[in-house]
Amino acid sequence: MLTQRAGEPRTPYPNVYLAAFQASLQAKFEYRVDLVIGVVTSMLMQGSALSFLLIVLRNTPGLAGWSGPQIVFLFGMTAAALGGSEILFNQIWLLPQYVVAGDLDRLLTYPVRSLLFFLVTRPELHAIGNLITGSLYVAWSLHTLHVPVFVWLMLPVWWLCGTLLYTSALVIVGCLSFRFVGPYSQQLLIPLNLLQATRYPLAVYPSWLKNVLLCVVPYGTFHYLPARFFFGKSASFWGLGLAPVAAVALALLAQGAWNLGLRRYESAGS
Amino acid sequence: MTPTRPSALRAEFATFFALFSRGLRSNFAYRPALLLAMLSAALSYAVPMLVWRHIYASGGGSKAVPAQALFPYLLLAGCLNFGFAMNVESRIGQRIRMGLIATDLLRPVDFQMAQLSQALSDGIANLAFVLPVFGVACAFWGKSAFPHDAAAFFAFCASVLLAFVILFAVSFIFVQATFITYSSYGVFVARNALQQTFSGMSAPLALFPAGLRAASEWLPFRHTIHTPVSIYLGWINGSAVWAALGAQLIWALGLLLVGRYMLRVSLLKFEIQGG
Repeated sequence: MLTQRAGEPRTPYPNVYLAAFQASLQAKFEYRVDLVIGVVTSMLMQGSALSFLLIVLRNTPGLAGWSGPQIVFLFGMTAAALGGSEILFNQIWLLPQYVVAGDLDRLLTYPVRSLLFFLVTRPELHAIGNLITGSLYVAWSLHTLHVPVFVWLMLPVWWLCGTLLYTSALVIVGCLSFRFVGPYSQQLLIPLNLLQATRYPLAVYPSWLKNVLLCVVPYGTFHYLPARFFFGKSASFWGLGLAPVAAVALALLAQGAWNLGLRRYESAGS
Repeated sequence: MTPTRPSALRAEFATFFALFSRGLRSNFAYRPALLLAMLSAALSYAVPMLVWRHIYASGGGSKAVPAQALFPYLLLAGCLNFGFAMNVESRIGQRIRMGLIATDLLRPVDFQMAQLSQALSDGIANLAFVLPVFGVACAFWGKSAFPHDAAAFFAFCASVLLAFVILFAVSFIFVQATFITYSSYGVFVARNALQQTFSGMSAPLALFPAGLRAASEWLPFRHTIHTPVSIYLGWINGSAVWAALGAQLIWALGLLLVGRYMLRVSLLKFEIQGG
């Protein structure tokens, strides 16, 4: 049985993850046409989602008390978190195929933290389109709404938390591939679709779904709860700081799921 | 006595049927994948429905589309869109990238029709899984989820078939870009973005802003979702049904021909590495 345990060897090179990420990124940049098409199409996809918001706002002045620009902030943060995960930690989408083919063997012989190394070695360049679109949406929304300066300063923290929350959810669901071995990754669409559900104010959803998005998969903590405070919809100051706590908690759970999964991993044999 | 040799046409159809049934079997072999795909699709279709539910419950919405018509529309649109997930881009894209298309083209079978047969098997498998979902909804919503009348139902079936061919033909045209990019991901995402925006999947065209609606009228995507569902619900009726089916047929044939032409042009410039 091939596993890495808690006392797994650490690399003597602390920046090995960064070096691996840079090398993978350089390899991806070799495909220029792919880069352009990826960026354009991911922006198209975000535009498609925004077109639905336009349809909605044609039929109602706002959603649950949220105006158009306020909802665009949620759209932007969601797109940016998605882009962050795709550029930094995208390899999780290939985990099912790695498990089926036994391709994790080589990774487990490296003196590195296997989950982090695995995640950072396949950046996707269409992420750039999501990052650009997300940033534009957020900047337009906050500029239009004249928010206080601290909101602009906090944005990188919330973005990083959103990226970690989404990646952690993907890792937890992806680890089911160790238990239910098969060459399909459709289960990973569930965290993605849940993330995209948070483009709208959670108040429009039934309470069970709202609770799922705030407590079980706490995506709502990195944009919805802070926005409720600085858009003046809630006096609760706590919403501003919950995102880092939620992100760290979910990241730890993801690491636990990965460790459990590796215990079940049996390679492919020959 | 030597058996009579079947006509070339009959033999070709037998091949298409063999491809279709093999594709169907392979789809059912990966039932967990199909069920997971259904679950995630249900989640993504639920979002616009819940947003609309909130709007109508809080007194918004449009009088042009009452709530009792909107929700069956959205459910049927979601079911159709799931049924139309046909893997054309990934299947053909992979064959182009790996150079396997050279082998395909050597076979005495029309490449485009062979791909359509396989796509049809994807569609049938998806619809088989999604039908029970729609059945439950019919039981829940009652009459408002039923077809407008028997004629509407039969016209709907014809319209769904034409819608499928239109979407296949659009995908086939888009996938030609893989001859240049060697990656089918961007091609799929671009086609999917246009389909989601202009097909009427998240809302009937009557709810669209004027500009978006005008663009939808000029593109084929509305004929993949909005036209069949409108026929089913009786929003298009009488002689307008024949006009809608005629428009779908023209789009389907036109796009298939454009796809064939583009494949021929792409192959003239295509290089396969080997040795």
